[in-house]
Amino acid sequence: MKKLSLHPLTWWIWAIGLAIAVIRFDSTMFTLGCVGAVAVVVFTNRENAPWGKSFNWTLKLSAWILLVRTIIGVLIGVPIPGTTLFTLPILPLPSWMPGIRIGGTVTAERLTSALTEGVLICAIIVIFGAAASLTSPHRLLRVLPVYIYEFGISVVIATSVLPQLVSSVTRIRQAQRLRGQSLRGFASWRRVAIPLLEESLARSLDLAAAMDSRGYGVSKKRSRYRPIKWRAADSAVVFSA
Amino acid sequence: MIKFSNVSLIYPNSTTTVLEDLNLEIAEGEMVLVIGPTGSGKSSLLRLINGLVPHHTGGILAGDVSVDGHSTQLVKPGGMAHLIGIVGQNPANGFVADTVEEELAFGMETLNLPHDVMRKRVEEVLDLLSLAPLRDRSIATLSGGEQQRVAIGSALVAHPKVLVLDEPTSALDPIAAEEVLSILHRLVHDLSLTVVIAEHKLERVIQFADRIVHINGVGVAQVGTPEEILMHSPIAPPIVHLARALGLKEIGVSVREMRRMTSEIRDKEYVHSDLISSPLGAPIIKMSDLSLAYDGKPALKSVSATISSNEIVAIMGRNGAGKSSLLKSLAGISQLAKGSVNVAGFNPQDLKGKERRSTIGFIPQEPSDLLYGQSVQIECDQADKDNQIPSGTTAQILNQLVPGISGSTHPRDLSEGQRLGLALSIVLSSNPAVLVLDEPTRGLDYQAKKELTKILIEFARATSKCVVLATHDVELVAELATRVMFLADGDIVADGTTLDVLLSSPAFAPQVSKVMAPQPWLKISDVVAAIQAHQ
Repeated sequence: MKKLSLHPLTWWIWAIGLAIAVIRFDSTMFTLGCVGAVAVVVFTNRENAPWGKSFNWTLKLSAWILLVRTIIGVLIGVPIPGTTLFTLPILPLPSWMPGIRIGGTVTAERLTSALTEGVLICAIIVIFGAAASLTSPHRLLRVLPVYIYEFGISVVIATSVLPQLVSSVTRIRQAQRLRGQSLRGFASWRRVAIPLLEESLARSLDLAAAMDSRGYGVSKKRSRYRPIKWRAADSAVVFSA
Repeated sequence: MIKFSNVSLIYPNSTTTVLEDLNLEIAEGEMVLVIGPTGSGKSSLLRLINGLVPHHTGGILAGDVSVDGHSTQLVKPGGMAHLIGIVGQNPANGFVADTVEEELAFGMETLNLPHDVMRKRVEEVLDLLSLAPLRDRSIATLSGGEQQRVAIGSALVAHPKVLVLDEPTSALDPIAAEEVLSILHRLVHDLSLTVVIAEHKLERVIQFADRIVHINGVGVAQVGTPEEILMHSPIAPPIVHLARALGLKEIGVSVREMRRMTSEIRDKEYVHSDLISSPLGAPIIKMSDLSLAYDGKPALKSVSATISSNEIVAIMGRNGAGKSSLLKSLAGISQLAKGSVNVAGFNPQDLKGKERRSTIGFIPQEPSDLLYGQSVQIECDQADKDNQIPSGTTAQILNQLVPGISGSTHPRDLSEGQRLGLALSIVLSSNPAVLVLDEPTRGLDYQAKKELTKILIEFARATSKCVVLATHDVELVAELATRVMFLADGDIVADGTTLDVLLSSPAFAPQVSKVMAPQPWLKISDVVAAIQAHQ
């Protein structure tokens, strides 16, 4: 089956729509449902390209955020009365910080409220991550009007570098494993970060130079070789949000 | 067409000038080759032509560069887009669109050309570069040679008068390189296109060039015909070195010319000492029934081979034939679908830490992947510490390989060859049994290649060591390898001594053997030895 070719902005508008809906409803069940739906859409529709694989990383990242956010939310904050789950020792704070408490009684209510907020934030990250992994950054650039050239060039560099970072990380970690370095712990990420940063910088500069020397943004008007049309399917996707 | 008048260039925070007072005029329809050691400023010279230097990179430019009457001081690179097509060192980094057809159209879209003109030109270029069967393909799935052709095509659609290419064949196998160069040759002759190329592998391009610009790295540039420049230049393709070794008065730049000059030498009767095949040592690497697939596409199809100690095995084959896959499974980073690998008694997938370092040394395609320190000194110290060897050992190895690198230099600021040297000395410091290199000569000049050859031969001579390398560089293989495995579509199609495999296929034969056929000589030292034995 040939895959549906949608307008590159479609998924982004869809994502914005979903994000607004999620914030407006503010219901955990609805949010989780949305995240599930988004994941299904991504796994069935994504292309086999570097940006397509970035969704897995988005999922991992948001799971981390959820975890960290929940722990901090439980440890620090205003006590909410309710069913006590367990009690942590209270860390004494200076008297000029009233209302904030570290540790103390952990109630089920406090845990739920921290979780709900975390889920909301993560859902929004996941939704936009999905849009990024469903749309080719290159196609996205082509529909952007020329008068936001400077902006457009930075957007394309940002969006194309991020997914490519993912494939570079895999390659560099592989190489370092061959140098017999352990892949665990903070130090291993520092070792990856430096070659990674260099490579992505060089790559972005190359892309910018290539676009520049091919006259991007010189003429205020641009012709279209094969115009990307807004089709009924696009409206359907946007409406479904 | 292109005019450099009194051009000097210096980059900020640098004490040496890249170019000094260069005067050069390139006429329409000329094919000019820029040569020089790595880091001598070839890329800078090319990028001066459309103004990417200094508009994009910074740097101080004195003098003037003008193309077809437009000075780059007044016009930005974008304004030159209709005049100059430029193809960078790594075309994959410059692609803007996803499919071949969209990529070709991109340049014309930005120039705001009418729709019917675009349609016509896209078709034209698709035919010219034989890209028509690939038009709907996603660029990411193309092979290196195909990507290079797309990059050239997308520069050509704007109908430029000048085409600038930075190392267009460095990542290509000999056949793909031949294809790209003959297309360029045709464009120069049919359309009177002006072409400027920088390239390290002179043996591939030299016969097409009208003139050569030789940059020596300290700012001075020489301009002349290939014969003039190559007569005395230290940078020269193997056939020129052959002419020098044979003491010929003139040099030829093509195989045809050289064959005419050497017919006398070739036709003598030579006693061919039967190649004494040195007895093979103990087997070190055993691959049996190795299969590998990516996303259902087979990359290796039940490959079996044994590599013994003291062997230097070159793995050759087209782009995408499975060379890198084979190396990766040797190093144990690919999950095998079937079969097994045994390296010095270990399964490479289980190796970790120190044990891994002392068994397999792997140099990836990008040697900088291995480096993460802030300076050369830190990298060397880290290697000493990792391997529990006296401090300074790695630095000493590095000094042997590439002398004169200051310890405080950042690895990023090293030249391609120096970086390879650093990665190599880190890997060698742990004294591995097997050394695996993936495309080590990309971007290396002749001098660096010679050093590399020396190091690898010395390494393989020690007891129970062997070297496996994947490369497109026929000349390197001729100088270095004892055995060649030829891969096609994931299968080993030929496996034998370097002499047998290289001589059996004209496309993969080194220059010396092309000149000297039917005599079975691969390198200059073979020729010289045979002649001396004859006298």
